[in-house]
This record gives sequence, structure tokens and C-alpha cells, in this order.
Amino acid sequence: MYPALFTLALSFAEFNMVRLSIERFVGFGNFSSLLANPQFVATAVRTIYFGLLVAFATATLGFLIALLLNEPFRGRGLVRVFVVLPWAVPPVVAGVLWGQMFHADVGFINAILYRLGLIDSYRIWLGDATTALHVIALAEIWKAIPFMVLFFLAGLQSLPGQVFEAAEVDGANVFQRFRYILMPLMVPVAIPLMLIQFVWAMKAFDTIFVLTRGGPGGGTTTLNYFVYQEAFQSFNLGRASASAYVLLLITLVVVIVMLAIRRLVSRHWEGAS
Amino acid sequence: MTRRQRRDLARNIFIYGSALVVLVLMAFPLYGLLLTSLQPESIIRSRDVSFVPTTIIFDHFAEVLRPGHIVPLREGMINSLIVSTSTALLCILLALPAAYALSRLKVPGGGLLLGVLISVYFLPTTLFLIPMFVIFVEWGLDDTIWSLMLAYSGFILPFAIWIFKTFIDQLPIEIEEAARIDGCSYLQILHLIVLPLIRPGILAAFVFAFILSWIEFLTPLIFTNSLRISTVALGMFRSTIDIQIGQQAAAAVLTLLPVALLMIVFQRLITQVVLTGADR
Repeated sequence: MYPALFTLALSFAEFNMVRLSIERFVGFGNFSSLLANPQFVATAVRTIYFGLLVAFATATLGFLIALLLNEPFRGRGLVRVFVVLPWAVPPVVAGVLWGQMFHADVGFINAILYRLGLIDSYRIWLGDATTALHVIALAEIWKAIPFMVLFFLAGLQSLPGQVFEAAEVDGANVFQRFRYILMPLMVPVAIPLMLIQFVWAMKAFDTIFVLTRGGPGGGTTTLNYFVYQEAFQSFNLGRASASAYVLLLITLVVVIVMLAIRRLVSRHWEGAS
Repeated sequence: MTRRQRRDLARNIFIYGSALVVLVLMAFPLYGLLLTSLQPESIIRSRDVSFVPTTIIFDHFAEVLRPGHIVPLREGMINSLIVSTSTALLCILLALPAAYALSRLKVPGGGLLLGVLISVYFLPTTLFLIPMFVIFVEWGLDDTIWSLMLAYSGFILPFAIWIFKTFIDQLPIEIEEAARIDGCSYLQILHLIVLPLIRPGILAAFVFAFILSWIEFLTPLIFTNSLRISTVALGMFRSTIDIQIGQQAAAAVLTLLPVALLMIVFQRLITQVVLTGADR
């Protein structure tokens, strides 16, 4: 915990890199200069978008895959192994991997889309900030799906089977069973998972560093990456610490909002039954 | 065809269809990487890609593992092996008594302590790296293997404590009480009774700590400069600067392989630990 407190002190101070000591305290100076910087605000907004995108996409896809793996079919074990495998991929390797997939000259994505006639010429995917950000999100989602699937599977297996049978006997169709039984039961499982995923996405670094280094034009810089740049490239430790705390604050706010939603949903559900 | 049969057929088509889609989407990137690492550069660069290899060569692997190659992968793998193993051992050594104390002794504020430890995973990594960097420079530890081991241990220790605690909590306390009556000290109980009973926990903690140290990238990026002590993840990253695509893919495969193997071998243990831990 000491490091975190030290960073808190730093966020209110100016730090001298040569003498390794705190020069003077500047109050909220670091924070206000950050908030006055439009690029910082854009970065913060981008970070939240990125985190929510990754969390929602991973939860949705993870849930669907878990539903599939919960059904018995031949070859399920094999599919399961390959679904879990990306979990073992070091983030830096995931960066290199997706960098190669989306490579402008030799990437498979270009080759496939071109063959299918979906694009007229090879695209430079990482050259455009918006596309590049989504490529990074894709890498993060791909890597995070296994974790989600495992937890959703555990959640699905703990469901009382009789409820579904009873509903089927009562004549509820697949969609009704999904909407009125599965969804309410799974929301309490899904929200903590999405929270964890969101927090992890906020911490994404390796994939950004390898794929784009925050570029082009800072368009794929998230807060965590911004902290790295401020601290270890500009050696502006005070401002970096302040940004790290803004990141923490944003994370906390989103976590609290999501927990509130969870409480609302479960209360609503209890009220209905 | 009866209605029931027709419905089963539809279900099967739907299930096998989506299974195929999932398999392709999740596995294709890894397959593509492996494919690239095994093909001559000329084929990789040509635009008529084929997804079934016609020629397979291992030149890229031989090349990146050659001593003195621009990508210090061989040294990186050795360094990472040393750092990851010692970090894992250190974490087990420190986490075991801590977890035992948190689980068995009534430590005031023990629950809070555990919460604070776990919160390390939810705070941005950079929050910890900035002061660590300052401290390591102060102590003259920057750009050494020690800085990596200390930083990794800081990140992994809470996780190891948490794993051990879940295992110790499941042990029946009666055995230990009996041992106490027979006159065993806490250390003897830990050594003679608890340790043998939580072997799977120790193995799990070792595997986790090893994997987490092996894949860490930001920490060595900040704390080390010398190529001599470059870790495998960092060394592999240097391959993105300027070498052939095939060699880059081979380096990525080599970085990935040890952790993927650990993951496959210990898949059951790992999922079990993660899922039982999540229940609480």
C-alpha cells in the first residue's frame, strides 16, 4: 500500500528526477493543469469508451459461447480447449499476433477481405486512429473471452435444472425461457464479471504499446498509457501520479454505478416474483 | 420426419454450426501465427496466401535462437526462467505463513488486510510502478534482476496469499487442534500438517506466479535497459522493431509456448482454483 500512498503524495507535488526528492507541493496544480488540457480529457473519455466496449463485448460473446459449451455435443472438449487457449497468450504476444493479422502488407485480414471482395485494396488498419483503437479492443476481447466463458459456465452449471423443465412443461418456448428465467438468474453473475473485465481493460498497456504506441496522433492513448508516457518518457512524475489517480477515480465511479445497477436489477427481480 | 426429429435436426445444425464459428474465430489467430512462423519469408510476403501450408521450415526458429541474434530471445528465455522461478519460490515462502496467520489466527483487521491486498489487482499498475521506480533508483537496484523479482513479488504475493488461504480454510481445524494438544508449535503444525495437505495449493500458486512473471511486460520495460537482463517478453518485443515477419512470429511462438504448455497441463487445477476462489 505504501507505493499507492506515495503516488498520492506525488500527485500533489513537483518531483525532481535528479535529486529524487519532492521539490515542493503544488496542491491541486497537477490536477487542474490536466483537466485544462483538452487532449487529456479526450484521453479520459476514450479510456471509458474502450473499457465499456471491451467489458460489454466480452460479456456478450462469453455468455453466448458458454451457452453453447453448456450443451452436450460431439467435439465439445476440443472446442473448449481452443476457447480457453487465448488465456495463456501473454499480452505482448497478443499484440504481436494481432499486429500481424492486421498488417497492411502481409496480414491475413487484408488477404481474406480482399479475396472475398469486401475491400477493393489493402487497408492500413493501424494507420487510422478509430480503426486502430478497435483493433486493440479486439485483441483485448479475444484474450479476455476465456475467463468470461469459464465463469459463465460455472454459473450456468449451478442453475437449478428443474426450473427450466417446469417452464418447458408449462409451455414456455426457448425465447421465453431465456428472457424470463435465464437472464434474471445470470445478471448477478454477469455484473461482477463485467466489472472485473472493465477494470482490466482500463489497465491495458502491452497491446497498445505493441500495436500503436498510443498513435496515430495520440488516438489510441488510454489513461494508463498516458501515465506511462508522462512518467517514463517525459519524467513528469507529479502529473503522471495525478493522472493515475484520475484513472483510479474513473474506475471507482464506474464500479459504483455498476454495483448500483446490480442492486436495482436484483430488487426489481425480487419485487416481480 | 416427425416434428421432434425435425426439431432435433435443427438444434444439431445450429449447435455444430455455431461451434464451428466459435472454433474458427478463437483459434484462427493462433493458427495464423504458427503458420507464419513455419513458412519461408517469400511465401509470407506474397499475396496469394494459402491457409494450408505447402512447405514447412523451421529456419525462423533456428535463426531467432542463434546466440547473438538481434532479438535476445535465447538470453531472454533463460533470464525469464530464472526470474520467474525465483519469484514463484519467494512468493510461496512469504505467502504461506501470511495465509496461515490470516486463516487461523484471529488477526485484528484480518479481513480488511486481505481486502487491501486484493485491491492491488484493481488499481492501475502504473500507480505502483512510479514509486517503485523512484525507490529502486534510490537503492541502486534499477536495471538489475533484483528489481524485477521485487516488483513481481509485490504484484503476485497477494494473489498467492489468497490461493493459500482458500486451501487452508478448507482444512478441518480439528487436526491442528489435536496437534497443539500434543505439544506442536505453530511452525511444526505448518510444516508437518498443513504443508503436506495443501500440496495442490502450492503447485497452483507456483504455476500462477510463474505464468504471471513470465508474461509481465511493463515492469521490465521500465526497470531494465540492458539487453543482458532482458526478459523474454521484452526481448520478443524487440522483434517488432525490424526483423522478418517469419522470425517475429517464431519469437512470439517461443514466448507463448512455455505458458501455453503449463496452462494445458494444469488446466484442471487452474480452473478449479479460480472457480472455488470466486465462490466466496
